[in-house]
Amino acid sequence: MQPPSRNASSAIGASTPAVGASPSPSRSRRTGPTWEPYLYLLPALLMFGFFFAIPIVGGVVLSFTAWNGISWDTATFVGLGNYIDAFQDHRFWVALRHNLILIPYFVILPAVLGLLPAALVHQMKLRGAGIFQAGLFLPYIMPGVLIGVVWRWMLNPVFGPVNKTLKDLGFAHPPSWLSDFTWALPTIGLIGAWAAYGFCYVVFVAGMQKIPKDLYDAARLDGANGWQEFWGVTLPGLKREIAVVLSVNLINALRAFDVIKATTDGGPGDKTSVMALFMMNSAFGSNQAGYGIAIAVILAIVTLLMSLLVLRLFGESDD
Amino acid sequence: MSNRRDFLKQTGVVGAGIALGGVTPAAVGVMAVAAQDATLDFWDTTNDPIKAEVITGLGNDFGEANGVTVSHRGWTLEELQDTLPRVVESNQGPDVAQINNGESLMGPMVRAGQILSLKDYDAQYGWSERFAPSLLARNMYTADGATFGEGELWGLSAESEIVGFFYNKQIFSDAGVSVPTTFAEFETALATLRDAGIPALLLGNLDKFQAIHLFGELQGTSTTREYLDDLIYRRNDKSFDDPSMLFAANKLIEWKEAGYFLDGFDGISSDDAVALFASGAGAILLQGSWATPSVIQGLGAEGAGFFLIPPINEGDTVLHVGGVAIPYGITTNAEDPDTCAAFIDSLVSEASVNAFLESGSLPAGDIPDDKIVAGTVSGDVYTGWNAAVAGDAVGHYLDWAAPGFYDVITGALQEILGGQVTAEEFVAKLQDFYAASFS
Repeated sequence: MQPPSRNASSAIGASTPAVGASPSPSRSRRTGPTWEPYLYLLPALLMFGFFFAIPIVGGVVLSFTAWNGISWDTATFVGLGNYIDAFQDHRFWVALRHNLILIPYFVILPAVLGLLPAALVHQMKLRGAGIFQAGLFLPYIMPGVLIGVVWRWMLNPVFGPVNKTLKDLGFAHPPSWLSDFTWALPTIGLIGAWAAYGFCYVVFVAGMQKIPKDLYDAARLDGANGWQEFWGVTLPGLKREIAVVLSVNLINALRAFDVIKATTDGGPGDKTSVMALFMMNSAFGSNQAGYGIAIAVILAIVTLLMSLLVLRLFGESDD
Repeated sequence: MSNRRDFLKQTGVVGAGIALGGVTPAAVGVMAVAAQDATLDFWDTTNDPIKAEVITGLGNDFGEANGVTVSHRGWTLEELQDTLPRVVESNQGPDVAQINNGESLMGPMVRAGQILSLKDYDAQYGWSERFAPSLLARNMYTADGATFGEGELWGLSAESEIVGFFYNKQIFSDAGVSVPTTFAEFETALATLRDAGIPALLLGNLDKFQAIHLFGELQGTSTTREYLDDLIYRRNDKSFDDPSMLFAANKLIEWKEAGYFLDGFDGISSDDAVALFASGAGAILLQGSWATPSVIQGLGAEGAGFFLIPPINEGDTVLHVGGVAIPYGITTNAEDPDTCAAFIDSLVSEASVNAFLESGSLPAGDIPDDKIVAGTVSGDVYTGWNAAVAGDAVGHYLDWAAPGFYDVITGALQEILGGQVTAEEFVAKLQDFYAASFS
């Protein structure tokens, strides 16, 4: 049996004698075996299936079970039980709230911190911008655990350089940043902002380079100053880049884990507990893998919805 | 792998020979030299360079004597706990591994059929005759994994642990403080050191777990063996809502407010606290015996001492946090359990005990008197350990009580030390989780 596409192709050929009389090379390719393209796709499909589709489907299935994560024999179907438990679990809401609190730090702050130097470099044509750019980008490529370890040392209240400097400046009792119930979460947020703003900077600089120079010339002819150029030309020209930066940072805010694990491990108390940490502690610490996976599914859905919202707000109407 | 399987089958026969004839493990080497490529993989939590050298040396000695390559891999406790049951479920991973006590790992792995009972090997090697029953109970579960603290042996510990207080002899001498023998004297010493402007008590609680040790030590001064065993082994409906828990919680608050702790203790790690003490930056260090090598390295064998938390009334029994170190068990992945059991036995042999003692570590079982050097910090640790074992005064780690309890109690301790909750609220939080965990 021939595939429908091949029949359709023959029919078109019959109704157009010129084409039918002398088949073009492209037409002769279309008459070949149709499974060939799928062969080319197979490696990627296999990778996608094994490492993406199957784990996702498997994860969703397991989220409907009470499973200890150790022995398959223990997995029993509980329907939506894990999801109901999560929504009734105080710790879940605490963790989610902390993720939401981190959003301004992980999303807005690095975007602003990246945008300002990018605009300065772009509009003032600063020399040595490449070195500056590499330096800013460095934290973004550092592993989160390493960032956590470095900042944990920097913020050590006994011998860390931050508090030593503050004491030298006259602050007698600077807070113990990572263990203070008031400061721990904002401190995590600032570390996250520090780690991300170099990425924002690089994306914005790349975006600015594609804004037509004519637009700036026209703005200047109209008498616009640098500030007006920024608001009237640069910022609107970065709409796509802003969407990319916000959505990537948002995903990072919602999946925040490594820096927190390496600095506070969710403490003091549960003041820096976030969804990913709660998920891991549930799945591995308490051996409630089904419950942990349900939290992961909820986290994935929240991340997806919020990313779509950002893309809808900033990414679509540009065309 | 075929070499390994063949070898392990051969040594399985040898193991049976040992069982029947009482042949020593060293003799296994004579009989099993034929297999050159066999490997015995063991995973544990040995990362400290000094200890790692000891443990790999012991592994190599066993390997040479038995014609097997012993391969060691050190993990952090958390990584090992997360990884081990999952690789064993996939029929991979080590032959021998440290399996954390109680519900933190041993219970789930027994119930999942992932580790082997050591009951027969216990009879073969006579471990029950060598170690105190109250210590062995920590490595026991019933065959169905339902009850902790009784039944069969599932692991054997090569080392012991006891939490206490290291002190800087020079600072004590300068401040006119002597080693306390009662709880009141201890508090007076802390106040004297604080008033002298010296960081009195060093601990680091950023990584959470040290406060459990201090809380456990304080609780141990006002509890009973029966209560604590029942609580941990989940017998007789015991509750965390107990006067001893409230006493310890209130003491934590009192000591924090009195300024006994190093300023910033909540923002430094446990390792930071050890490093500070070893550099002479404080008078007393709350730590377990495992810190002894680091203390010796910093202050010298005679520059520091060690004492256990003293009783409220002279002569009272105090239950000290500690016990056996994380025990070594045999996974169902092991091709030859007999060789694995021989290896575990080698870790508690006289040669191993000597190797641990030479490194300043605390081996399992009683420490022979001739190995205790008076006036040294390790001598104090060994003396304290022997006294605790002799007095049946080795308590428990409270996080063994329930799966996931570690996160709850460590977080709650940070809350109480941060002034976020009262002692009553703290105890209620522990009890709520404890009661719900097996409901």
